[in-house]
Amino acid sequence: MSEPSMGKLALPRLTFWRAVLVVLLAAGFYGAFVRFFRGLGASTNLSDAFPWGLWVGFDILCGVALAAGGFTVSAIVYIFRLERFRPIVRPAILTAFLGYMLVIGALLFDLGRPYRVWHPLIMWNPHSVMFEVGWCVTLYSIVLALEFSPMVFERFRMKRALKVVHFVMLPLVVLGVLLSTLHQSSLGSFYLIVPSKLYPLWYTPWLPVFFFLTALMLGCAMTIVESFLSARAFKKEIEMDLLADLGKVTLVLIGINLLAKYQDLSARGVLRLAVQPSYEGRLFLAEVLMGLIAPALLLAVPAIRKSPRGLFSAALLVVLGVIMNRLNVSITGMERASGVSYVPTLIEVSVTLMVVGTGFALFTLAARYLPVFEHDTKAPKPETDWADSRPLRGFRFALSAAAASLAGLLFVTAIGLTWDGVMRREPPPSRPVAQNPSEQQKIWARSSFRIPADVTFPQAPDSPAPVTFRHASHVDAAAPDCLGCHRRDFSFLNAAPPRKPAAAGVMHQNCGRCHDGTSAFSVEADCENCHGATAAKK
Amino acid sequence: MIMNPDRKALLLDTTRCIGCGACSQACKERNRLPRTSEDVLTDKLSDRTFTVVNRQGSRFVRRLCMHCEVPSCVSACPVGAFQKTAAGPVVYDETRCMGCRYCMLACPFNVPKYEWSKTLPRVRKCDLCAERLAQGLATACATACPTGATKFGTRTALLAEARARIAAEPNRYYDYVYGVEEVGGTSVLIISDVRPEQLGLRTDLVNEPPAMLTWRVLNKIPNVVAMAGLVLGGVYWITKRSDDVARAEGQDTQGPDAGDAS
Repeated sequence: MSEPSMGKLALPRLTFWRAVLVVLLAAGFYGAFVRFFRGLGASTNLSDAFPWGLWVGFDILCGVALAAGGFTVSAIVYIFRLERFRPIVRPAILTAFLGYMLVIGALLFDLGRPYRVWHPLIMWNPHSVMFEVGWCVTLYSIVLALEFSPMVFERFRMKRALKVVHFVMLPLVVLGVLLSTLHQSSLGSFYLIVPSKLYPLWYTPWLPVFFFLTALMLGCAMTIVESFLSARAFKKEIEMDLLADLGKVTLVLIGINLLAKYQDLSARGVLRLAVQPSYEGRLFLAEVLMGLIAPALLLAVPAIRKSPRGLFSAALLVVLGVIMNRLNVSITGMERASGVSYVPTLIEVSVTLMVVGTGFALFTLAARYLPVFEHDTKAPKPETDWADSRPLRGFRFALSAAAASLAGLLFVTAIGLTWDGVMRREPPPSRPVAQNPSEQQKIWARSSFRIPADVTFPQAPDSPAPVTFRHASHVDAAAPDCLGCHRRDFSFLNAAPPRKPAAAGVMHQNCGRCHDGTSAFSVEADCENCHGATAAKK
Repeated sequence: MIMNPDRKALLLDTTRCIGCGACSQACKERNRLPRTSEDVLTDKLSDRTFTVVNRQGSRFVRRLCMHCEVPSCVSACPVGAFQKTAAGPVVYDETRCMGCRYCMLACPFNVPKYEWSKTLPRVRKCDLCAERLAQGLATACATACPTGATKFGTRTALLAEARARIAAEPNRYYDYVYGVEEVGGTSVLIISDVRPEQLGLRTDLVNEPPAMLTWRVLNKIPNVVAMAGLVLGGVYWITKRSDDVARAEGQDTQGPDAGDAS
């Protein structure tokens, strides 16, 4: 831990986190080194059977989802004009902007040829979901940079630039919301093309809709979580009434998500899979209990929703739940069909942690040096109206205590289910036992065997007559063994250019390996055997 | 979608296969690939092996790219590195590929393989000897096959032949041609004396090309953009108007002009 006995009284928490950051960066740099100098095979547990792992599942899918606060809050403030939420616009935009920068950075680790990351912008395939996501993420990153730019312009007093950005802010926000809607949902569309690979608890034609709905819900929850974190880190007042309202919105969105999920599962008739004691069933249950039901219970009780600790816990559960959902879709749900079980390597984990650590560090820096929290000058609103109705107070207390303990119970259950699910991971299916061909199979196959045609070699100048190789006299039709001779070459495949005669002695040497006088007649014995005689026999 | 009626294909007949491995060896030669196994019957597809013939129970079954009629890889690739050519093969252009591996995820047959050991990996797979086809030649595997278990021709002709073989010897064949319906059809057709699942072939595939599942969503995007744009604009217009009205009536409960503080 830290040494407080330095000249100045440093903040212990910050130095601790700085130490953590240094460790994460060091491990991440080592991971990056292995990744870029030794390749994906040496650094990851990815394989032909499991081509997408932690870097896609967490860094990309979760990264984009976690940045959803940007478009959610800017839509609330700029389009629905709920001005009360304006103080949280800037932190949300900042998080989203940094999030997208990190997603693009992490993508470079996952791409086999990262220097071609720009290819989708030039080489179009409008049928590809990833092409669409590539374009949306690029455009939205530009939009976010512009939405973020006023913080820089203000800091450096660039009035003209500020004016220009303000002028285009509304179209930018609309564009940002559109682009986000498109690619948040399209990350789910990635998996529409694998109906036979993704486990039915997660595969649904509604994947894009679900990814969008969960992104909206996560956008609100993330905004709550990061408001608390920055309030704590920068010792500023928490806009509790504001966040409690955002908690209400989150609750509604959780309800929509729960209902949609239930409808979808029961319509497809796979509801029972959720309660089966399988790897997938357990992790699905954990996802729903931890990420949807537990926070819904907490947020449904006003006393909890309006208490900092309760609201923060509920929002954090939503965040964890959506992370778990993305990992379930990209990893858990894909394992069974792939026949392998995937666990990321330490290098994969270290790179992911480095990305996360960098995100926190950049946010801290930006929050310290840019006007991110400029709106916190409002006088804090002390009163909360629920407190003054005495008779209800005891009831509410009991209700909130019950909800909190129920949610806690669900959370613990979810952790247990996750653990149980991971332990229950089925071993990959074994390859079928090899048997010898059945007699019937042998008869059919042998009867269709045709002795390959004779091969006449071009005559060399010093050769007495052309040589014809007869497959018929070299192949046992009852037990043909092509690879016995064709170990390396089927030279007929190169027959397109006319074959040149072999150099003097080469044929004698090649044929002489067997035609040595003991296994078969010697190449040196009787010229007629090969030169001319075969031709004459025909 | 109009398809070239003369597109080429392969017909695999497991009852004719003697498991000699000539197809695999010929493929290695044609593609200049190194040897990967002493025994072709236990070898697996990889970045250095584009086709194998495996022992499946008491039969021999080839594995190779199925050259789907509407390939998932072609649809998935964000840079169009995969193309279904008019002649039939699904080919890969390594100069476009950025290595995202979506093709590998998308392929219902797990065919595209990656050069995991390289720092700048490519995706590798069978290309149905596209170059040989262009010269009017059959694929290397079909040329090498001594029993006719792998036969090269146009898909139409091979499908007719498959059905004719089944009709001629109903006791020898299970009445099903694998690759006619699966994922909307493939250019590799397989017949056998047993059901496809006994050959280790996937039978849980959709009969509609999986590419259509994503395309049906993607082609809604212009509509979604137009509708959502209108709705968002409309909401803004309405909320702004009610704010303006409120302000004009002197009931401004919000802060002063909050509209441009970013």
